[in-house]
Amino acid sequence: MLSADFVIATAVAYVGLLFVLAFFGDRRARERKSSFLHSPAVYTLSISVYCTSWTFYGAVGNAARSGLEFLTIYLGPTIVFVGWYFVLRRLVRISHLQRITSVADLLSSRFGKSSRLAVLVTCIAVIGIAPYIALQLKAVTSSIQAVAGASEFGQGSLAGIDDVGLALGVAAAMALFTILFGTRHVDAKEQHHGVVAAIAFEAVVKLAALLAVGVFVVFIGGGFEEIFSNAAARGFTLDTENTFNDRWVTTLVLSIAAIVCLPRQFQVTVVENSNENHLRVAGWAFPAYMMLMSIFILPIALYGLTTMPAGANPDMFALTLPMAAGQDGLALFAFIGGFSSATSMIILESIALSIMVSNHIVMPIVLRFTSGGRDGQGVSHLLLVARRFSIVLILSLGFFYFFFTRDSDALAPIGLISFTAIAQFFPAVLAALFWRDASLKAATAAIAAGFVIWVWSSFLPSFASVSPQVAQLVLEGPWGISWLRPEALFGLDDFDPLTHAVLWSLSINIVVLIVGSLLATQSTLERIQANLFVDVFRRGNVAPRNFMRGAATANDLYFVAERVLGERRAAALFETAARESGVAPAMLDPSPEFIGRLERELAGSIGAASAHVMLSKVVSGVEVSLEEVMQMADETQQVIEYSQQLEKTSAELRSTARQLEDANAQLRVLDGQKDDFLSQVSHEVRTPMTSIRSFSEILLDQGALDEQQRHRFVSTIHQESLRLTRLLDEILDLSALERGERTWENVPIDAEAALERALTVCGALLSQRGMRVEFGGRARPTMVEGDSDRLCQVFINVISNAVKYNDSERPLLHVTSAVRAGSYVVEIADNGPGIAKAERKLIFEKFSRGQRGAADQSGAGLGLAISRQIVARMNGSLDLVTGPLPGACFRVRLAVLR
Amino acid sequence: MVERRRLEAAMLVLTGLGTLLILPPLTYIFGQPISHFGVPQVVIYLFAWWALVIAGTAILTHWMPRDSTGDEEPD
Repeated sequence: MLSADFVIATAVAYVGLLFVLAFFGDRRARERKSSFLHSPAVYTLSISVYCTSWTFYGAVGNAARSGLEFLTIYLGPTIVFVGWYFVLRRLVRISHLQRITSVADLLSSRFGKSSRLAVLVTCIAVIGIAPYIALQLKAVTSSIQAVAGASEFGQGSLAGIDDVGLALGVAAAMALFTILFGTRHVDAKEQHHGVVAAIAFEAVVKLAALLAVGVFVVFIGGGFEEIFSNAAARGFTLDTENTFNDRWVTTLVLSIAAIVCLPRQFQVTVVENSNENHLRVAGWAFPAYMMLMSIFILPIALYGLTTMPAGANPDMFALTLPMAAGQDGLALFAFIGGFSSATSMIILESIALSIMVSNHIVMPIVLRFTSGGRDGQGVSHLLLVARRFSIVLILSLGFFYFFFTRDSDALAPIGLISFTAIAQFFPAVLAALFWRDASLKAATAAIAAGFVIWVWSSFLPSFASVSPQVAQLVLEGPWGISWLRPEALFGLDDFDPLTHAVLWSLSINIVVLIVGSLLATQSTLERIQANLFVDVFRRGNVAPRNFMRGAATANDLYFVAERVLGERRAAALFETAARESGVAPAMLDPSPEFIGRLERELAGSIGAASAHVMLSKVVSGVEVSLEEVMQMADETQQVIEYSQQLEKTSAELRSTARQLEDANAQLRVLDGQKDDFLSQVSHEVRTPMTSIRSFSEILLDQGALDEQQRHRFVSTIHQESLRLTRLLDEILDLSALERGERTWENVPIDAEAALERALTVCGALLSQRGMRVEFGGRARPTMVEGDSDRLCQVFINVISNAVKYNDSERPLLHVTSAVRAGSYVVEIADNGPGIAKAERKLIFEKFSRGQRGAADQSGAGLGLAISRQIVARMNGSLDLVTGPLPGACFRVRLAVLR
Repeated sequence: MVERRRLEAAMLVLTGLGTLLILPPLTYIFGQPISHFGVPQVVIYLFAWWALVIAGTAILTHWMPRDSTGDEEPD
């Protein structure tokens, strides 16, 4: 049998070991940013603070009393961690960006940095957690009593001390320990690496202890099958038929809410998280941890029920079974395991709660009663003192709850009372993360309403066993009003008390939150924060902008920062800012971004609401600035941008449709032109073909033709076929030009030489008609871009037209070439009949011919069309202009090459 | 991006289906008073569920691309 003194000495030594671990852990984390303390494994183990002595002792007791129900406490968190991607990831990201320090800070920050809501949440948390801390005290005292043995109890150093005195001693020791551990300094992010290291170590110890006890029990029990069948033989079977009742669902819901909202869980999962990616491991590793913890619970409970005497406390089976088997070493290990689970919970819970109390209750009061917060005392120091007192307060509350309810038997029901209180935050937390329209008033009212119902239907009845008045109240209702009975509100008495309390408190909570949010309007700051929270992944990693703009000097701000953050960190912050903006620290002009960053830093120490109030006092500016309005407009702007994009797209579509319509119309015109062209071509071809056919028929039929006639016919046929060939050549040439197929390299050529050549070629034709050529002035050799043969062809065409259509008595050709305004210009005029006004537009069209031509009009009317195409390819123009002579005048204009 | 969306959907299904599977009425299917190897069927069912969702989460998380974290801000 272990002596009480020895057990207590072991416990004290163990706490000493934890202290050393925390101390070196802290040092190591400070020195090396990437030590194993920042690893996902330590993170996951620290989350396992969820498994308290409720798990270590209570789960066995619960399994012995109500079968599988104990599992829901671990299945709920499993669901939350399996779905880590949806809630926890969002929570961690938001909290990193906003420097959130607690669940009260989260709700306060989301709902417009309201300090009232933060106070409410903090008070509820402190009151709601009291039963939970009492549970740990009860577990520790019971375990000390159990391990020391009833016979030895009251001897040695424990002489004259009952369980109340023992619990008081444990509470006092825990308070001292937590103060030494958790409030050594104020961290910007409220991270306690040393404590987390100790918690992770404790997580390993408690798992190993429970597994050791489990393996031992299974071993001496003869294996799983043996234990189950022996228990069945003794009448202890699982009531599988009634396992999945309303309590199953209720405890599942409660544990889902608790793993997110419990102050210590929020602290380890969200605040102490140093890397978002650690969640990826915790997502499966923490459920695995809980599964390992749960595997041996049932065998321990069943084996205990089978072998232990009927009156034994099933909560202590994990301890009493090894002792009954004479395994003192294992019993001591189990005691340390249970002690670990209790101490880790008490330490972290009171740290988390003390942060909430000091940040949301003490700081606002101090800020209110000191003008501008300038009382000369370091806020940092004040914070630490406030935290130490809060820890004492929290543990005292836990002790008092233990004192008043020490006669109630089981551990698990006490824990569920706390879970129900904490679950009141869950609807608001979910709304904070996902619902833009959730408003401050609604959230406050919802949490308050849920809390009131919790006090009435869950907290109050827990005193029924110690107070006859409360017992009577529970039985008959206040003043005998039966529908107000705490455990049967509005006559609903078909459920067990827990389900009843959860059903009423959570449903009223949710209804108030939803209806209230739909009715209430949000303030500006609320709307901004709501957008920041809900859109956290759409915005990426952009830190929230600051909304304060005012006339604060860097000096004022430094004064505030120094007192909250301490001299070193404040100086570092200001120096960084000065370096970034490239000025001396003394000359730093506090930009809105800088004030925003400072506010987030301060929020890390004293909470969002207090930081906001504090800076608002210093920065005595108008709070709603242009930027704030812009931020608000952000959402609207997104919508506007989206609709503008839509509009742009539809405009593009419209213009495309219009272009298509135009193209279609053009195609139709072209199609018509093609038809015209074809009919014209066939007409042009038909005339020579007709004469060729008739002459050849005559030649074939009429044998008696004289030689002269025959010769005339044959030469006509020859001429007509030449004309046909020419026509077809021209058509081919034109269509090739039009389609851009007949391209040539535009090279520098002498245009004047081309003109000269054309005149030479046409010399014979001119003299045949007796046409005189007159020059109005000639340019010097001029270089243009083009093809000299083609240009020559154009000139020949124009000159031959002038010859062909001239019916004057004394035909005259007037040729002028000159360089004018950077262009080489050739004008070829004649004294012919000219071109009638109506025809001027048409002469460049295909198959159009001058009407008043006197001479033979053997051309197909394609010459000018081809010429125009050629000149256009040389980037020039061919036009009909008013010339010096009465007849037509054509002008060729080409850009001079420089 | 498509890959991430698919994985997100798969995680949602795992979480949702996982929740449904341990809530009545689906649990009634396994709530029969039958034992395998001496252990009640419902116990085996719940622990098997547990192991499966843990494995499922580990696999899906493994495939899920990492977020770019916002931890790079200077302290």
